[in-house]
Amino acid sequence: MFDNILSGFSAILAVGPILGIIAGVFIGIIFGAIPGISCIMAIAIILPMTFYVDPIIGITMLLAVYKAGIYGGSISAILINTPGAAASFLTAQDGHALTKAGKAGKALDISLFSSVSGEMLATLVLILVAAPISAISLQAGPIEKVFLLLFAFTVIGSMAGESIPRGLLSCCLGMLFAMVGMDSITGSSRFTFGITELMGGFTFTPMLIGILVMPEVINVIRRRKVPHHELAITHSPNPADNRISFKEFKQVFRTILKSSGIGTFVGALPGLGSSTAAFIAYGEAKRTSKKPDEYGKGSVEGIAAAESANNAVCGSSMIPMLTLSIPGDDVAALLMGAFLIHGLTPGPMIFFEHTETIYAIFAGFLITDLFLLVIARAGFKFFVKIASLRRYYIFPCVTAFAFTGAFTAGQNMNDILVLIVFTVMGYGMRMVGLNPAVFIIGFILTPFLEQNLDQAFAIVGTEYHLFFASPFSWVFIVLSAFFVFSSMRMKRKASKVPAPVQEKSA
Amino acid sequence: MDRRKIDVVLSTFLIIASVIILINDNLVEGGAESDLGIMFLPRVVAGFMIIFAATIAIQSFSKLSKGAELEGPELIITNGNSGIFIYIGIFVAYWLAVPHLGFMVTTPFVMLGVAVLLGGRNWIPLIAMSVITPVLIYYGSKEFLRVYLPTWTL
Repeated sequence: MFDNILSGFSAILAVGPILGIIAGVFIGIIFGAIPGISCIMAIAIILPMTFYVDPIIGITMLLAVYKAGIYGGSISAILINTPGAAASFLTAQDGHALTKAGKAGKALDISLFSSVSGEMLATLVLILVAAPISAISLQAGPIEKVFLLLFAFTVIGSMAGESIPRGLLSCCLGMLFAMVGMDSITGSSRFTFGITELMGGFTFTPMLIGILVMPEVINVIRRRKVPHHELAITHSPNPADNRISFKEFKQVFRTILKSSGIGTFVGALPGLGSSTAAFIAYGEAKRTSKKPDEYGKGSVEGIAAAESANNAVCGSSMIPMLTLSIPGDDVAALLMGAFLIHGLTPGPMIFFEHTETIYAIFAGFLITDLFLLVIARAGFKFFVKIASLRRYYIFPCVTAFAFTGAFTAGQNMNDILVLIVFTVMGYGMRMVGLNPAVFIIGFILTPFLEQNLDQAFAIVGTEYHLFFASPFSWVFIVLSAFFVFSSMRMKRKASKVPAPVQEKSA
Repeated sequence: MDRRKIDVVLSTFLIIASVIILINDNLVEGGAESDLGIMFLPRVVAGFMIIFAATIAIQSFSKLSKGAELEGPELIITNGNSGIFIYIGIFVAYWLAVPHLGFMVTTPFVMLGVAVLLGGRNWIPLIAMSVITPVLIYYGSKEFLRVYLPTWTL
């Protein structure tokens, strides 16, 4: 493994990948910092541009956008109390309280250092754990893989939706759309209704941009009359209030380590995502803190806990994707699509078929942290200025990039129609409480399920009891039942607590 | 808008579509036989869709019939929806116009339209952005990605 890591570093330390990482970090921070634009949107828009470069450059660039985008979200959360994602909600509480006290620099500093520390720890875990897990998962045959995929569908569908039926229905819809077109095994055409353009199925990139990106643009257009927020760093005359000292960092380092551990663990479980990690880590840090009263009122420790856990999810969410082909959340699903487009099929075989590429990507993951630290630290004022750009400058550009991205995939105008249809569908899904990310996960995983199911049927013939002969099958059945049961309990508990409803301002 | 009514209508539609998938053999054309059967998985998924859609419909219908008060996500905010229709209209027009007028001619108008829709009135920077961005995208795609965006064909 050590040799692989070294060869990974030698592959990544070239002009192309480094430029890709720098560009990715830059784009990620900018997109993350602009309220109303998420890192998902950034990845989906950048994705088509990476088709034509080497996978090492393309994938590391996308991962850099992801990591930097998650950090960038804390800039708007801290400065204008507008968390771009639910995961930044806690950062906004403490960070904005510090901003109001003239300590925005301190809040931004601790957010950056915690983010980078959390990400680095999770990346190290990813590097050390992924290959051994993949070696174990290689033992799984088609029958086990069928149960593994059913487990993934159940967990993601039940954990991610607004309610369990809505989450699972989103997954089923994604599965159904994945079945449109010519079947790769039998050559039959399903659900094409005589339309030859549908023989190839729905093109992934326009569908992805339509389902995940464009509804955000539509949401901003719907709320176009909400006043624009100005971002500004407020300065206290005391220089110590505008930066984080080594002593202060040392004081919160234990919290960062613990929260990064929580984030790494939660991220490795499919379906939970960064908000869950941030909330658990924040709660744990508050429980064990010497100053729990400061939490929510400008606690540096609180920001450190939320940000390190939130960012640790970036690295560890890759673990189920790379080892078991299960994207744990929406961004992982998107990245899985990117891997597939670049000819890398996530799963245990990736460590054997593309050893150099995958370790180069891992090395790129670590180097991204260093660039994030340097670029974000050096360009605070620039990013704040860019993030304050009015939405009528940003969203016309997003529209043009979305159009180009959709066209670039197949150089076909029909893909633009796919983009429009899925834009409407994605917005409609959000309106009725269906989860677009789960839809995408269902869409991506269905071909794998069908292929393995076909092979499994060929193996068992008419002796269907063989499906349940392997202990793996039972383990995944029990785990699926456990996750559905626990998510039902969680949702029942959550429904008793009235959730605050707030309109996100753009 | 009451989301529960939409739930009932949408669930009914999905149930009908799922039943069609379950009973109609004409949804598949050609191809070889396989152990699994080409419609096996779609029918399993359709079966599950009936269950989940029916669950949502029953929950929403019972709340509707009881006249229960709307909870947070059940209230769909429709303020500003006119903007959505205009945006979709702009996008459809964009799709129809690009093959004939080309990317470089159409995109500035679309960008300007979206900017105005979002309340932009600073004409000089907006026009500059609407012209420069498509030029950069067009030549960037052509030179770096080798993707040739549509050009004027009239």
